[in-house]
Amino acid sequence: MATLPPAADSARARFLLNPAAVIVVCAIALAILGLTILFSASASFSDGAYFYLCKQLAGLVAATVLCFVVSRINLDYARNYAWWIGGASLFLLALVLVPHVGISVNGSRRWLGVGSVRMQVSEFAKLGLVFCLAHYLAVNQTHIGEFKRGFALPAALIAAFGGLVLKETDMGTAALMVVVGFGLLFLAGARWRYVLPSIAGVIGIFAVVVVLIPNRLQRFTAFLDVEGNKSGRTYQLYQALVAFAAGGTNGAGLGQGRQQLNYLPEAHTDFIFSVIGEELGLWFTLGVVAIFTIIFIAGLIHLRRAPNLFHFLLVAGCVLLICLQAIINLGVTTGLLPTKGMSLPFISAGLSNLMLMGLLLGVILNTQRTWGRARLPGRARAMQEVLA
Amino acid sequence: MSKGFASSYRTGLIAFSLLASFAGVGGRLVWLHVIARDELLRSVAKVRSRFDAETARRGDIVDARDRILATSRSLFVVNVDPSWLREKDETKWSQLAALLGRPLPEVRKILTTKFREPAPANPAAAASTAARPADLVFNLPPSTAAAGVATGSPEPAGAVDPTLAELDAANREPADEPADDTGDEATPDQTGRIPIQWAKLADDIPESVMSEIDRLGIRGVYGTRSYRRTYPHNQLAAHIVGFVNKAQHPIAGLERYADFYLRGHDGWREGERDGRSRELAQFRTREVPPADGYNVKLSINANVQDIIEQELAAIVERYQPLKATIIVSDPRDGFVLGLANYPTFNPNDYNKVPRDEMSRFKNIAVTDIYDPGSVFKIVPASGALEDGLVTPDTVFDCSLEKIEYQGLTRKLPAEDHHFGNLTVAEIIAHSSNRGAAQLAMRLGDERFFAYARAFGFGQVTGLPGGYEEAGIMRPPAKWDSLTITRMPMGQGLSVTPMQMHQAMSVIASGGLLLRPQVVRRISDVSNEMVSDFYRVAVRRVVSERTARTMARLLARVATKDGTAPEAAIPGYEVAGKTGTAQKYIDGKPSTTHHVASFIGFFPASNPQVAISVIVDDADAHAPGGIAYGAKVAAPSFKHIGEQLITYLDIKAGAPAPAGPALVWEGGRR
Repeated sequence: MATLPPAADSARARFLLNPAAVIVVCAIALAILGLTILFSASASFSDGAYFYLCKQLAGLVAATVLCFVVSRINLDYARNYAWWIGGASLFLLALVLVPHVGISVNGSRRWLGVGSVRMQVSEFAKLGLVFCLAHYLAVNQTHIGEFKRGFALPAALIAAFGGLVLKETDMGTAALMVVVGFGLLFLAGARWRYVLPSIAGVIGIFAVVVVLIPNRLQRFTAFLDVEGNKSGRTYQLYQALVAFAAGGTNGAGLGQGRQQLNYLPEAHTDFIFSVIGEELGLWFTLGVVAIFTIIFIAGLIHLRRAPNLFHFLLVAGCVLLICLQAIINLGVTTGLLPTKGMSLPFISAGLSNLMLMGLLLGVILNTQRTWGRARLPGRARAMQEVLA
Repeated sequence: MSKGFASSYRTGLIAFSLLASFAGVGGRLVWLHVIARDELLRSVAKVRSRFDAETARRGDIVDARDRILATSRSLFVVNVDPSWLREKDETKWSQLAALLGRPLPEVRKILTTKFREPAPANPAAAASTAARPADLVFNLPPSTAAAGVATGSPEPAGAVDPTLAELDAANREPADEPADDTGDEATPDQTGRIPIQWAKLADDIPESVMSEIDRLGIRGVYGTRSYRRTYPHNQLAAHIVGFVNKAQHPIAGLERYADFYLRGHDGWREGERDGRSRELAQFRTREVPPADGYNVKLSINANVQDIIEQELAAIVERYQPLKATIIVSDPRDGFVLGLANYPTFNPNDYNKVPRDEMSRFKNIAVTDIYDPGSVFKIVPASGALEDGLVTPDTVFDCSLEKIEYQGLTRKLPAEDHHFGNLTVAEIIAHSSNRGAAQLAMRLGDERFFAYARAFGFGQVTGLPGGYEEAGIMRPPAKWDSLTITRMPMGQGLSVTPMQMHQAMSVIASGGLLLRPQVVRRISDVSNEMVSDFYRVAVRRVVSERTARTMARLLARVATKDGTAPEAAIPGYEVAGKTGTAQKYIDGKPSTTHHVASFIGFFPASNPQVAISVIVDDADAHAPGGIAYGAKVAAPSFKHIGEQLITYLDIKAGAPAPAGPALVWEGGRR
């Protein structure tokens, strides 16, 4: 057993050693990296070098404010409105699909907005799903072994969210919601005999959707043969892979990347990771993966102090949303997964996702603040022992 | 995970799957960044590289007084990248169309056609724009120079003319550039359509209009500089200057002959391009700036050229000949001051010349041959004088109808007038055919032939500018029994107008055969001299004394005593010789079709200008139905001479000391 550093007694040192703080530091590091790369990646865009930078900075400020606000609210009080939150999310998701109300960009109807302010509802619906699912599972934790209350109803809730998002033709977010939802269901203790067939069922439904929608299958499988499809369906992916190769171990240098110069569509959003790969090289891309891994591990450690199942599932859901989204984005940009629009948490440009990340961080910080109060000091000490 | 609300194995399973995913991404990154790197990069280098050519400006062709005969105007091709247009610029489209001078719907169609259906590339377009190899380097004699004496059949000239095939090629419009000038790596969109990244809106937009288009600020519309050859004096000296076609390939004349100097060197840039095929200046790896072409200064004087072209026009109007040529040169150094042919063309509108009239492009002064007629008598006379076989006062009996020569009795040609005994001087003055034959017989076959060769017949003159005919002159071994009686009067051999002019200039220059030249100087963009051209003497043909004697004899031609008093210029002593050669129609000499010529120089004692006027088949409109050299050509000689006296300030005074031959090329030709 290692001895604690002497400064650990001070409140500030205790904060820095706790897992939520680790997550926040990691998020700030990623955001700074994101701003740097965004500046480089968008320099060649027609809107000017500072346009996206300013937008992203504004988004970061807004997300910080959101994070702070959420970290101060009483989650147990908010829990009274869990069904309102879930219902409002579903309502807005449905509203997006109404023609003339939802805003359609590039064939996908995902946005609600007034004037130039647009919000991607599905981003916030992710948290809505996690919140009301955590509430439901916590309320029904004694019935978790039953089929109806322990599986069918929560699965229907997940399917409602997933289905509406799928209707927006946002397969990535739908898949993320379903995976996170079933992850929470699984953590809450749903029976294997229900979970396993439903996983198979979900895969089956996706398969049917993929096959039924024209071109979808080819687009879905194109990532398996990037070279062969490089001028067609996987042009974007091919350019992304080339960017990694061009970066090599040490990277081409900041601002020296060429793939974002109109070779790589969405260089500043979904494919920003390959710009990092080209300009900064292997050590930085591995570093990004490592930071997300640290966020995940810190989240797991943080979860050990959860006072009840609701808090446990809520925070588990937040951590899973961050980390699974990161994994999907990293998998897509490196060609391991089929190309889906999915931003890289804290790094990609895009206001809606940034806001969501602010909310998720706010929830984690909130729990860090509230969980400690009712706990015995010994638990905090045990925590420090793990970290040391 | 002991005290959690989920069982350890469930949390562990999820933790394991996520950590395994992170590890998988990490492994994949090592693969992409390091292991598969080279393979991926190999395919990308090709796509990224970009090569841009920068056109060099073609040099000017100027006359002896720096007046521009051919120049390159800077024009713009207006292009558009339709995928790069903004909606808010749409209101400016009508202004753009107005500036381009095209109807708005046409322009709109180009601007709104954003995709091209995949189609096989058009190989024909690429082939037709392939660069023509520059096979002509200045000052190298054309391959025909080695032809020497034509030993083939006496076919009419011009039957084989290699320039015509190229002229035909010149008349075809160059194909448009392929639609995507930077290659076929355009990025298909998600439905597989290929976006158009390049389309041409208009050609030949002047710089002022281009700057107005730039001021409109329509994104995606841009201009690229190109040069367009123009000939400000239109047809003036067209056969000397030549022309370039629309693709800027030199086709004829000095444009082609001096192309090596005129064209300059195109510059190029090698670098990388972005996903829209635009150049990335920061990644430029190599750059060679274009070197503009050199300017070529001619000995042609635009004023002299204008004088002779007007005279030519007058001849054409009056006699409506088949062809006509006027050559003016300075006999002291061989430089041509003016050369005009009929028919001619305007190099600005070379493509409007009908296909069956492409012979208009020919510089018939060197490409077409004719029987020189009596002008050729200067050869036997000079030869006999030079060899000391006769003096100007030696008497010949020109009433003889037959004469014995080398053991055979030869029939002498008919005369226009009855002559009795004539001196050599009178034979020239009266143009006696029988006298000329007897002079040649005095020389003998071989010496006569040798003199004809020495005067330059049967060989190309070396006039820069393209294909040249060597003429037809059979060697003595192939002569028949009448050749020695006919050839001295200019029948039974064929020469080009330039050859005849050059031969007459031998007398004027004091016995030297000078190469006819048109290029005075080549200078670079800042007008620094690159190369100067001087008199080139091919060989000495006759002594100065003989030449002076001949000049004196020829001076009698243009008097009341001679055949062409029409050529006389008051106050000046004009030396020259008429020629009225029968044309061969259907293989027989015709009595109604002639080539009328007067070739001479003045002042006879101090020649400063040599003029040839050769008119082909003017009989129909000539007085008396026969186009005599004295009637058709000599008056033009006089008229041109009178204008040149004023313009060139020619004095009738004493001879100046002859300049030394700066370059000797004895025996090469």
